[in-house]
Amino acid sequence: MNDAALKPDTQDIVVDEVFPHTPETIWKTLTTANLMGRWLMMPAGFEPVEGKHFTYQTRPAGAWDGTIHCQVLEVKPNERFSYAWKGGDEGNVGYGSRLDTVVTFILSKVENGTRLRLIHSGFVLPNNDAAFKGMSEGWKKVVQNIGAIVDGKD
Amino acid sequence: MTEAAPINAVMRALADPTRRAVFEQIANTDEITVVELTRGSGVTQGAISQHLKALKQAGLVVERPEGRKVYYRAQPQGLEPLVDWMSHYGVFWRERFANLRTLLKEMDP
Repeated sequence: MNDAALKPDTQDIVVDEVFPHTPETIWKTLTTANLMGRWLMMPAGFEPVEGKHFTYQTRPAGAWDGTIHCQVLEVKPNERFSYAWKGGDEGNVGYGSRLDTVVTFILSKVENGTRLRLIHSGFVLPNNDAAFKGMSEGWKKVVQNIGAIVDGKD
Repeated sequence: MTEAAPINAVMRALADPTRRAVFEQIANTDEITVVELTRGSGVTQGAISQHLKALKQAGLVVERPEGRKVYYRAQPQGLEPLVDWMSHYGVFWRERFANLRTLLKEMDP
């Protein structure tokens, strides 16, 4: 995570929740293809083995066929699971633009269950624009992107 | 291809730095009038009105007349054609976590 903090031009999505279940049960839902299909998306060619390639099929956009290309990076049973998550096309703006990211799940035992942290890292964003400070995050970012796209064209 | 038109309209509307600043100011408030927008902007009320017209046409701003005043508010849906990967996945993962909670409850009541 600190790696990402050192790279000023990328940002992470973090979702952090506690589930009233054991790490072992949650691990199964993260690393078993048919269970992944029930809460996330059905992977093709998935095996929880480091180095293994697999894909998810999502909505296409422009020249991109919607395939997310993944590769298992780390498997530490009941503790940590991460994979590369790549897709998109240079020609797209916003949804479907080029994406080279990493998804990491971190499990830790807590008093009443398991804390599950998801970190989706490596989103490349345009530089901050002071003019849009004070707006809520989502808005700020979208408008910044527009500014960057438009400025780039000028 | 059907999405190209609204994206261009929104991008054109926000291409002008003054108009972007007007939009940002509207987005920072619940509702705001032309007079309030003009105050301290350094441009005329007529210019602000023109910017508001462009923002309205792009679907970024809506107006609500009340008596002699017209109130403007930002319309987040107007930005939908430009929602980027990060906001896409922000929503995506939260929804999937909700699915996961349901699945776990089923598997391990």
